[in-house]
Amino acid sequence: MVHYNMNLTLKVWRQKNAEAKGNFENYQVSEISSEMSFLEMFDVLNERLINEGKEPIAFDHDCREGICGMCSMHINGRAHGPWEGTTTCQLHMRAFKDGDTITVEPWRAGAFPVIKDLTVHRAAFDRIMEAGGFVSVNTGNAQDANNIPVAKDIADEAFAAAACIGCGACVAACKNSSAMLFVSAKVSQLALLPQGQPEKKSRVLNMLAQMDKEGFGSCTNTGACEAECPKEISLTNIARLNREFISAGFTYEK
Amino acid sequence: MKWSQFFNTSIGKKLLVGATGLFLCSFVIVHLVGNLQLLLNDNGEAFNTYADFMAHNELIQLVAWGLKVAVIIHFWVALQLTFSNRKARPVKYAVNPGNQTSSWFSRQMAIMGSILLVFLLIHLKDFWWAMHYGDLPKGNFGGKEMTDLYSTVYTAFTTQLWLVFLYVIGMIGLSFHLIHGFKSAFQTFGLNHVKYNGLINFLGVWVWGILIPIGFALIPVIIYLKH
Ligand code: HEM
Ligand code: SF4
Ligand code: FES
Repeated sequence: MVHYNMNLTLKVWRQKNAEAKGNFENYQVSEISSEMSFLEMFDVLNERLINEGKEPIAFDHDCREGICGMCSMHINGRAHGPWEGTTTCQLHMRAFKDGDTITVEPWRAGAFPVIKDLTVHRAAFDRIMEAGGFVSVNTGNAQDANNIPVAKDIADEAFAAAACIGCGACVAACKNSSAMLFVSAKVSQLALLPQGQPEKKSRVLNMLAQMDKEGFGSCTNTGACEAECPKEISLTNIARLNREFISAGFTYEK
Repeated sequence: MKWSQFFNTSIGKKLLVGATGLFLCSFVIVHLVGNLQLLLNDNGEAFNTYADFMAHNELIQLVAWGLKVAVIIHFWVALQLTFSNRKARPVKYAVNPGNQTSSWFSRQMAIMGSILLVFLLIHLKDFWWAMHYGDLPKGNFGGKEMTDLYSTVYTAFTTQLWLVFLYVIGMIGLSFHLIHGFKSAFQTFGLNHVKYNGLINFLGVWVWGILIPIGFALIPVIIYLKH
């Protein structure tokens, strides 16, 4: 890939705090390398803002290697930008060309309130996990690994669901701000495995009830979540969540 | 979870919309086959005999009332979901992805449904209400005295061009609603399986989404052109 530099116009959402109204600010950035990551480009801009005595742009990030799920940015109408299966930290500037205008917004969902600028509060996801995203573990000696037989394809499916990093891109991408892809991944990774069976029914009912309580929308099967998920979590998980919910709803005694 | 709670969750509500939606899908195919008899050149004998049978068979009348209940539940619950989904995003994006991440049809369900509702109200008033509670002309068909719904339909479509247009628009609404809705209902019930997805998609797009709405739309168009 040929290296090139570019000059860009950034239209970035600035919002002082959760209560403030917020608005877009324009910034010109020059000599941005095509090899930089999108976040490095923001680092360059922030350094300049600090040197100019201005407030830097607040954005979330931690691992910068696509595994923590913090780097939420809605870039030119796309969660985590134009590339498929990538987080913002893994998006490189070669996705853009010289002279581009890039609009950057925070995740938009009532359940993910803006803390400042591009950072949002995703604690709603934590509360959904607390409602049922766990398994019971007996005290005593640890079992041998591989003691419980699990078919290879089932183990693979559970693993694919467990790849969800809780980034919230599914919510951000969904026109209903629905968290169904996230909840379906978290329910699936446990429902598929023997270890997840004891809480199978209460888990799905409680997690879904919490999802509704947090104010996420419902699923209309548009598939935008799957298209934007950096971990390519499949819609088959939502179908499984629906099946789990139906069977628990019809048979759980409580 | 009590039933009342179950059907008040987001998935529970979706199940109501999906179940009533598929019930209506099963109805439209029967309705189309029956109505195509309007195009026979028999002065309405086949169609009127069929309509008379449908109006007087108790089991069919029970299902017919069930259909009206289904439309009301479908409409009412879908409306609630649509509003709570809008509320879930109080601040909108300045830039939206358009068709890059989802199909256009999947985002127009409430609008197409609203077109269908307007269509259904006028359709039911013109033919169903008139048949059961109106004062329609009678005739002798196959040796039996019965309501001449056939000529009522012909009069309606040959004297009111706007009604022909309304039916065509209504069927475009049905087409767009079912291109997404049919397969979406299966996903709502958790029926997503590589071995059947192709068939469900095909039926949803080509049979319910295209063939059936075209079949319905042709009826008023042909009647209008015949005269
Ligand atoms: C009374 C007028 C109607 C309104 C207001 C309406 C509205 C809606 C809405 C808002 C949805 C949910 C959208 C979504 O999941 O994205 C929906 C789904 C659906 N509708 Fe309708 N609709 C109407 C009539 C009909 C009719 C006449 C049929 C069938 C012939 C039908 C079949 C379906 C199906 C199969 C679904 C999919 C359910 C699912 O995803 O689980 N609808 N409708
Ligand atoms: S399902 Fe995908 S998009 Fe949603 S939170 Fe998990 S990793 Fe992020
Ligand atoms: S910063 Fe960790 S996933 Fe992007």
